[in-house]
Formats: sequence, structure tokens, C-alpha cells
Amino acid sequence: MADLRDYEPNLDRILTRLERRSAFAEILAERASGEGVQVERRSTTPNVQPRMHGAIVRAWAGARWVEAASTDLEMPALESVADAIERDLDGSATAGSAPGESATTDEEWRTDPPHPVSELGMEGMVSIGKDVFGWATAVPGIKECQVSMGWADDERLYLNTAGARCFQTLSRVRYGVAPVAMENGRVEFDFLSGGGLGGREILEEMTESSVRELARGTLDLLHAKAPPTGQMPVLLDPSVAGLFAHESFGHGTEADQFVRDRSYLKPILGQMVGPTQLTIADDGAFPGGWGTIFCDDEGHPGQKTLLVDHGRFVGALHDRESAAVLGAKATGNTRRSDCLSRAFVRMTNTYVEPGSWSLDELLAEAKNGILLERGTSGIEDPLGGQMQLKVKKGHRIENGRVGELVTSMALSGRVLDFLRDIRGVGREGDTKMETGYCGKGHSDLLPVGTGGAHLLSTAVVGPA
Amino acid sequence: MSALQPVDSTAARVADQLRADGPWEVFAQRTRRYELHLNGTTIELARGPITVEGYGLRLLRPRGEQTGRGFQASTDLTADGIRATVATAEAVARLSSFPAKGVELPKPGGAPASPLIRDDDLWSDPMGTLERFVHALTAPFDGRSNEVLSFGSVRASLNENSLANSNGLRFAYPSTEVEYEAAVKASGGPEGPPPGEYWVNGSSRRATTDHLADEVSAWCRYAQDVRRAVQPPTGDLPVILPPGVLTTILPNVLSVRFTGTARLREIAPALGTSIAASSLTVEDDGTYPWATGSGPVDDEGTPRRKQPLISGGSVAGLLYDSLHGAAFGVPSTGSAARAAGFGMRDPRRFAHAPGLSSTTLSIPAGTGGSDAELVEAAGDGIWVQQLGWAFPDPFSGAFGGEIRIGYRIRGGKLAEPVRGGTVGGVVMAPPGAPSLLANVVAIGSTPELTDQMATPPLLVRPLVVAGA
Repeated sequence: MADLRDYEPNLDRILTRLERRSAFAEILAERASGEGVQVERRSTTPNVQPRMHGAIVRAWAGARWVEAASTDLEMPALESVADAIERDLDGSATAGSAPGESATTDEEWRTDPPHPVSELGMEGMVSIGKDVFGWATAVPGIKECQVSMGWADDERLYLNTAGARCFQTLSRVRYGVAPVAMENGRVEFDFLSGGGLGGREILEEMTESSVRELARGTLDLLHAKAPPTGQMPVLLDPSVAGLFAHESFGHGTEADQFVRDRSYLKPILGQMVGPTQLTIADDGAFPGGWGTIFCDDEGHPGQKTLLVDHGRFVGALHDRESAAVLGAKATGNTRRSDCLSRAFVRMTNTYVEPGSWSLDELLAEAKNGILLERGTSGIEDPLGGQMQLKVKKGHRIENGRVGELVTSMALSGRVLDFLRDIRGVGREGDTKMETGYCGKGHSDLLPVGTGGAHLLSTAVVGPA
Repeated sequence: MSALQPVDSTAARVADQLRADGPWEVFAQRTRRYELHLNGTTIELARGPITVEGYGLRLLRPRGEQTGRGFQASTDLTADGIRATVATAEAVARLSSFPAKGVELPKPGGAPASPLIRDDDLWSDPMGTLERFVHALTAPFDGRSNEVLSFGSVRASLNENSLANSNGLRFAYPSTEVEYEAAVKASGGPEGPPPGEYWVNGSSRRATTDHLADEVSAWCRYAQDVRRAVQPPTGDLPVILPPGVLTTILPNVLSVRFTGTARLREIAPALGTSIAASSLTVEDDGTYPWATGSGPVDDEGTPRRKQPLISGGSVAGLLYDSLHGAAFGVPSTGSAARAAGFGMRDPRRFAHAPGLSSTTLSIPAGTGGSDAELVEAAGDGIWVQQLGWAFPDPFSGAFGGEIRIGYRIRGGKLAEPVRGGTVGGVVMAPPGAPSLLANVVAIGSTPELTDQMATPPLLVRPLVVAGA
């Protein structure tokens, strides 16, 4: 399969053709490559990313956008795409300009890790996977463990009729280790995962000691009790605090929801919403982050945007259109999950910045409650302002100390109440982004980072 | 409906150019996708066609007691591209190992009748059909002042699916799929509570508008009820789970634990084990009309069928494809599925090697009667209309989430709406331990197809509710 840039002349010809019919047109072409491996007790499964590329064309039709796409980048297929766009442009007013500011960035970026994982080859990854599997299953009682790892290079070429020409290669590396424990028909697992932009150094985070500790912790889950239920003090570990940042102020500040009048946060922009020690940011330029991008899919560079600054709600995430409607600037948050998917305002890396409390101080302040650990999922409620966070496990907090282990649970609460009740923000937290995938509504998954510091507040929890 | 026909399909074209030893299989798709996205009732973005043509090649390489599996997908249909795909798949197979020998891919046979999986109107006029769907979705909001559509989208895929393998199997079949998503925002009242929202999504094989107006009315009512809802109580309570909630819970666990993959990991329940209430029967039905999981054949080419999983409360069967069937010396149940893992479905199924998954989990009508009779039987409990995200853990079976909208049941009648708090438990547990499946005390009498399940509402006594 030819290099993506070999097709640039084809893409330029399509753009030149559309320029005559539309006030603005753009093309995003993409090619992905990569390898991975999954090791289990009974099977070893290497995999290679599909040999696939494609391009999507978007044009302004006077009152709305039109799009068409193809996985074939040869001229006949691209001409068909342009034909479809032109049919939709028929009868449209071409005089009206597209909403917002068109990017004019002309730049090329590449993740350039000193030791790319691709150098290992699949054989190297299989070897590492078997080592990690061996460390986990050396712990008596652990017979099964799923070990997965891989790298993926995402090449994106963005061109528009305003002159932007952006080419970026994002090299993402990810791993996961999940020992499985079984006893009398009860099955439990725990997990360790990580990833980001980079190379082999990311896989080196899987150490023998961390994997053995994880395996021992998995066995403990077989005897863990159900969590307490009801409203109580909750202490979120950094992974859960990152999920909180994502679900509460991440989705709530995607400004396309402001435009739809579908965000509970819109009326309170500029107001104090939490304690002065609370700061939440989205940062597309976070070094090595899982959700880091050099530029977004409208050609705007990735950047840091403060959402909550020392307790005050100060910012939102914008694409060109929401920025135009709301009198703001695009923030580099327009993302397509791939070259066939539509563009939305999306998060990149969203996190709670560290505060000043030690973990012991937070536990003492909580006195009795629950420590939530290993965030697994969350879901937003953009208009209602509720949130749901789920975790793999936790510990009771009893008299200011970490108590017994409990099984998985869900946290539910109203975000503004949760913020009002924050009593402390930890000073120890993630120095890198946790890895996750986020959908917009019920589709369009893409990689996002989350992170944070411990957060102490109050919410309802129950088994889940 | 179209029967299977050997045609000049993408898979056949690739297969004719393949220079590889068997066993091999090619699964291919030629897909056109169309979408309309709404801002309120206005179309803000029209998309399509989004044209995708690609294939996935799987090679099986016997090695003693093991089989190496090499898979590579590509959109490059040139001779050079196919050669490169074969080379990569061979390299992957050399490093792969799976504990099966003598894996037999499906052979050509009589073409099974296709279930209802293609919407002819959508096939012939995709954008026109979507526009009519959008009109039917937005029209009920005319004249409503307190409920508006805050956003919506409808996406249609028109798929030409094709398979070929080294046993001489060659065929193709068409299918359509529609996904929709909408949010209804409710407001009103002079000094009333803040706006409320009901957020809905669904999928089907057809863009039917038959009951859309009634559904919109119900969505508007739920959105209004969100505004006056209160937190549920805390405690172990009888809970009624309707089809729209069950489809977010049961498939995620059963399609993992009731499979040959789980058996390989030694986490599948043993046949005959008592795992559910004795009144409960669950089967996987790959032929259910208009269900998104249905098809004439699975993604390896084995005819789809009905496979009992739970019968009279006991484990009655597991799901197998050719590979896992060979590992355990049992035939495939026609359960090979691509892109069926966790998360949102990838319409590019060809890009994924086949795995194992349920299609449509079907629970037949029970004796619990109408919704009102189930509520009466519950006495004092909760009707959960919508959960935030159940996100079940297929290993432990744990599930649960925030109640987005539900109703308190008092004295056998639906009472005030509830919202917030959580409801949860475990889907399945060792015999004798409480679980959702074991605690089913009544099964409604009217099954309904929603996404991956065709089921009546279930009354479960109890589940854990956490709230005020």
C-alpha cells in the first residue's frame, strides 16, 4: 500500500475541483498501521492492523455541511466522492462562508520515539507477553492471565481550501495485564494498563514486581465483600478522579452541546463551582499522553485549555463552528475517530491537577467512607448534570485508615453537588495519562487520556 | 428475501487471485453508508455515500496439536495488495498457537433461507428513506412547546457481505442496518425545575417508522418525569427490568461466559448446572427477524440457528465456531462473529478476525402477564426504565449503574419517578448464590426486540438499590 503522501496530488485535485463550487472544503486522509499480541494460557494471538487507508471530504453547502468518503484513494474513487459532494451542493448558496475560522497551518509532525516498539517485531512482543504471563501465573492460585500489548501508527493528512496542509504521525503504544482468579465458581480479575505516545519504554512499565502484586491482589478479590451502599464520603484514586474530570467537566464543556443548549454548565460559565484548590484541564499537547494530538481534524494545533481554574469554571472546548456561534476561538478539539467518521468536539487528555493534601490527610478527613480504585468506565449526563463512575474495587475507610477490600461498585451523583462537597485534592497523582476510549453519544470511539490526583467528596455508591 | 447466491462478490474476486494453501477463508464487505445528523429538528450534516470495500483473510496452519491462525485485513484489492496480505497472514500464523487440530471450515451446501435482514426501501433509496425517517421522528414535535428534540442522528449501512473459503464455499448476501440516537429535552412551568432529558438510541435492520410517534410521546413523558424525579431509597428491593435495560446487561455477560472461549479459559458454566430461576429459558437466535445479529450464515459461513443456552434454569449449551468446536470436538453452532467484542460495533466487520458471540438472546414469553401485572406482583420496588451504563463485567458477572429514569412501585402500582442512585448485582453466580438470573420471580408475557435481545420484562427479587 503506497504512502499516504503519495496520494496528495489526487487529494489536491479534488480540493481544487470543489473550491469552484463551495466556499470551503477540506479533506482528511488517514492510514493506520500497527501490530499487537495477546497471550493467554492456551493461546497466543498476534495481530496486524488492517492495511487500510481512506479519505473524507467535507464541504460547506451554504446552510449545512455535506460529507462523503472512500477507502479507495485512486482518482476514479475520489472523483465519485467529489460527484456526491457536488450533487449535495446543487442549489446551495455558495456565497455564504463556512462558520468559524479556517485553519491555515502548514506543518508536519511525527512522534519520534528513540526505541519504537516496531523494532521488537511481533516475535519480541510475544516473548515479552510470555514473560509477563509467567510472572502472573507464578503466583499460586493464578492459572490464567490475559496479556496484551501493541503499537499503532496513525497517519493523518489534513488539507483545506484556505491553505492548511497538516501531516502528523501519532505512534501510540498500549499494554494490559489481567490475571484471572477462580474459586468455587466465583471468577474475578484485576488489571494493570498503560499507554501513550512513545515507544518501548511504555512496555517496560510492566515489571515483574508490579505484575506479581497485581496477581496477588486478584486473589484477594475472591474473598472481598460487597461495598457499602448509600451516600457517604468518597475518596477517588487518581484513575477515578481522571474519569470524574472526563465525565463531568469534559463532556459538559464540549461546546457543541452549548450550541444545542444541551449543557447544564452553559449558564454558569465564569462562576465558582468548587474549592479554590480544584483545577481541571484538557490538554491535547500533554507530552506523551494517550489522547495527545499535534493538530486536530480541522487543522488547529492541540493545546491546553483550562476548564476549571482554582474553582472557577472558565473555559470550554470548541470546534470552528461552536467557536463562531459563541464568540470564542477553536481550541484544537475537533476529532474524527477515523477517516470515515464525522467530526465532533472531543476531549484529548482531561485531568485534575494536583492539590496540597497528602493521602493520609485525606483519609483522616474522610474518617469513615469508601476509597474507590481502578476506574473502569463512566458516563455523562450533559443536560441533567448527573454522572456515573464505575470502579473495579475499593477499600472501606474506617476511622481514617484504609480498611477491608470491597468488590466493584458504581458512584452516582450530581456533579455540582459533588464539586461543592470537595474537601481535599491530593498532591500525589498521575504523572502520565491513563488510557481510555471515549464515544460521542453511542458511537465514534477514539483514544482519550484521563488523569488526576486524589479527590475527597460525598456521593452515593452501590455494588455494580 | 434474498437467498444466498454465488455472485461476483468481493470475496470471490479476492479468492480467485489468492495463491495460498488451505485452509483459508475470505470474508468481505462492500458497504455504502449514509447519515443524517440533526441540531434540533434541522439537518446540520448530511453524509454519504461513505464507501468501503475490503476483506479479511484468515489462514489456518496445523502444527501438531495446535493450529496457527493468521489474519490480515485490507482494502487493497490489487494483485500486489492480495499478495502482501497473504504474506502477512502467513507470518502471523507462524507465531500464533491455538489448542485445536483438524479445524474444518464450512463446506458448500444448500443455501439456507435468509432471515429478514434487508430493508428494500433503504436499499433502493437510502437517503430518501433516511429523510422520511427523520421527518417521522421530528413531526411529533410540531406543536409541542415544552419538549424539543435537542439532537438526533440516523445512520444506515447497506452491506454486500460475501464469503469464500478453500473448501469451495462461495456466496454473498445483502443486509441493511440502521442506528439512531436522539435526545428529548423537556422544560416548562413558570418556576419549575431545570430542564430534563431522555436520551435514547437503538438499532435495527430496517428504518421502520410504524410506532415512532408513540415512542416519541413516551420519550417526552420520560423527559418530563426526569424533572420531578427523586432519588430512590437504599435497600434490597424487587426491581423490574424492561427489554431496553436487559439488552444492556445480559448479552455482555452471556455472550462471553456461554462460549467455547470461556470454556477454554475454564470460566464457562458446566452443562446442567442450575444457574437461573427454573422458569427461565434463554436461547441464542441467529435467525430472529430484523435483528441486527441475524443472518443466513455466521461470519465463517455456517448457517445461523437457534441454540439453547439456559433451559428451565439450567445450562443447556454453549456457543462455538469452527475453531473452538475443533478444540472440544463439537460442531460449530454458527456463532462466529466479527467486530462483536466490547464497545460500539465497527461497521467494518471484515477488518476483524472471527470470534465468538451471541446474536439475539431470546427469552420466551412467561406467565407474569402485562406490565401492570408485573408491577402488581412487585408490590413495593422499582421499575428501571433506563440505566446510565450497566457496563457488566463478564468475568465476575457484576453489573450496575445509575438510574437515569425509573419509577417507584408502591402498593403494586407505579408511583413517583426516581432518578440517581444505583442499581446493581451480579448476572450469574455459583449455584445457590443470589444473582439476577437466579432471582427472576416473574417473566412478562410480551417479548420485545431491542438491539441484542428479544425478551419480555423480568421481575427480579431482589437487587441492590443505593440511593437516599
